[in-house]
Amino acid sequence: MTESLKVRVDRRDGLAVVNTEGYINNQGGEEIAQAANSLIEEGYRTLLLNLAGSKIVNSIGISILIEVLERMLELQGRLAFCNLTPTIQKTFHIMGLTQYAQVYPDEATALSELLSAAAPPAGT
Amino acid sequence: MSGTMLLPIHAERQRRLYALLQEEGAEALFLRETLQLCREVLGVDDLAAYLEGDDGYESCARLGSADFPPSLARGLAIPWPSQPLSGGILLTGTEVAEELPHPLGLLLALGLRLCRLRQSVKRLDFDAKYRGVEREAIYDVGLALTSTLDLSQVSEEILLRAVSLLDARRGALYLRDDSAGAHQGRYRLQSTIGGTAREGLAVGVAAETADLLPQARYLLAVPIEVDEEPRGVLVVGDKESRSGVGPFPDEDRRALSLFANQAALALEQARLHQEALEKQRLEREMELAAQIQQGILPRALPALPGHEVLGWTRPARHVGGDYWDVVPLPDGRFAMLVADVSGKGVSAALLVSTLHSALRLLLARGESTPGMLQAVNQHLIEFSASNKFVTLLLVALDAATGELVYVNAGHNPGVLLRRDGTLELLGASSVPLGLLQGPAYGEKTIGLEPGDLLCLYSDGVTEASSPTDEEWGLGRLQRLLRDHQTAPLAEVRSVLDRALRDFGAGAAQGDDQTVVLLRRSTAPPAPA
Repeated sequence: MTESLKVRVDRRDGLAVVNTEGYINNQGGEEIAQAANSLIEEGYRTLLLNLAGSKIVNSIGISILIEVLERMLELQGRLAFCNLTPTIQKTFHIMGLTQYAQVYPDEATALSELLSAAAPPAGT
Repeated sequence: MSGTMLLPIHAERQRRLYALLQEEGAEALFLRETLQLCREVLGVDDLAAYLEGDDGYESCARLGSADFPPSLARGLAIPWPSQPLSGGILLTGTEVAEELPHPLGLLLALGLRLCRLRQSVKRLDFDAKYRGVEREAIYDVGLALTSTLDLSQVSEEILLRAVSLLDARRGALYLRDDSAGAHQGRYRLQSTIGGTAREGLAVGVAAETADLLPQARYLLAVPIEVDEEPRGVLVVGDKESRSGVGPFPDEDRRALSLFANQAALALEQARLHQEALEKQRLEREMELAAQIQQGILPRALPALPGHEVLGWTRPARHVGGDYWDVVPLPDGRFAMLVADVSGKGVSAALLVSTLHSALRLLLARGESTPGMLQAVNQHLIEFSASNKFVTLLLVALDAATGELVYVNAGHNPGVLLRRDGTLELLGASSVPLGLLQGPAYGEKTIGLEPGDLLCLYSDGVTEASSPTDEEWGLGRLQRLLRDHQTAPLAEVRSVLDRALRDFGAGAAQGDDQTVVLLRRSTAPPAPA
């Protein structure tokens, strides 16, 4: 596994997908938060975090993801996850993230559900 | 502006502030509403309230478009006009009076205090939930151990859990490479997370001094031990916090040891699985060997005019050291034999194979019995282990006359039950085969009369033992033969088998049991 997490963003009509690869720890969580904040600044209010490339998350990473989720909720936006390993899914469930963020098995399912509900980003 | 002026808090704003005070999770909104009041009273557009924390100040609420920083380090010069607050700082975009008008400072301090309490509650809630994640992780690792025997998969699972639960930035798991020699081997890298790790480590070198994770500033390593023997190393590096990395506290060593114990269990389980597979393979080979050995025992017996013959063997293990045969001889007679190789199991079975080949070849050539046994004796002395020998009772029967010539090389005496009930024993006439060079194998001759029953057997029959270690004995065999003197041989066999089984009372059979029965018929043989 590489030293730090890699983030790749796919902008679509109405939502953005943040793909991660690597360990969601302090550094990795900050990378994700930074990407999310940029997308929020661009006007996106629906974000999908595709964690297919991440097998591991620690408590710092989770606390940063919770902050991202809180920010999205403050803005009345949506944060969703897909492609979680069973371990990460269970962790998110215990930590209460899944109460406020949707979890989908894969990106295709997530996109079809989210796109039907998502509004296009403000100003575009 | 005066510090004593009364604030224009309208009824609507008051209601809003009261409502926010009562709403859980609205602490930041309360602070924001208070900032809004500040904006109106102070006449400034840009404001930000900062909450005092351990390392400095964090932005809690802001208004306006000024580029306020998200945090302020303690001790640094604050760039904007600022007002100290109880528990925080207020930054404003333009100069304001040094003292905030009463009770604005109080309201802001209250908002900051509420935000602080909210943060504490969230922290406690987070920690309580995370304890749940830790408990689940321990449980899941245990589950992984029982659901897979793939060592690399379990190792990776254990490392993932250890690194994530200890908030380590990186980690590695090393296992001893037994192929390099049990005690001089090295630990080889099995799995790594969060960066590079050294490929190997000599067994015996203190892991914490070996720079296993070159990018780490802080290391914590514990041994993986099975039966107090070092089998691997579990190492993590750099304890993370929101402000960076630091050393691991003492309690993390205990947690890491717990994961190392799980890894040790996985290793032990994988080893036991390998052993079980090996045992299965051996069982299959033994079954094959048993089939091969079954193949060298007679499947169909030649017809002996005027005689009934029946033979069988019950090995104590898959393969046995007993051998019996009934073979037509070139001169028209029939050879019958029971042999017992010293020892049991595979080594005995291999010698049985040798004996079978030698005897069959020599019997087919029509060699004289003493000459044949001398050749076999010589062969065994030359080609088998020095502690191996064979006892053998060989008879050659002239079916037409009932004349029976026998040689007993150290074997149990054959039992001849005459029709009138008298018993004769075909006792040993020489030493077993494979022990001494050039012994004499003297032949003896007796005659079988109609109704006479001859029983050749191995010592597994007469030495069969009961749970109290009593031997079945020659006496019981003789009585059984006498009681069933005229019964069909198949019936004698089933009675004998049952008697031995009952005597053993469920205990494991101690030795191979072989019997050959020969009876001269009372009716004259049908003309050829």
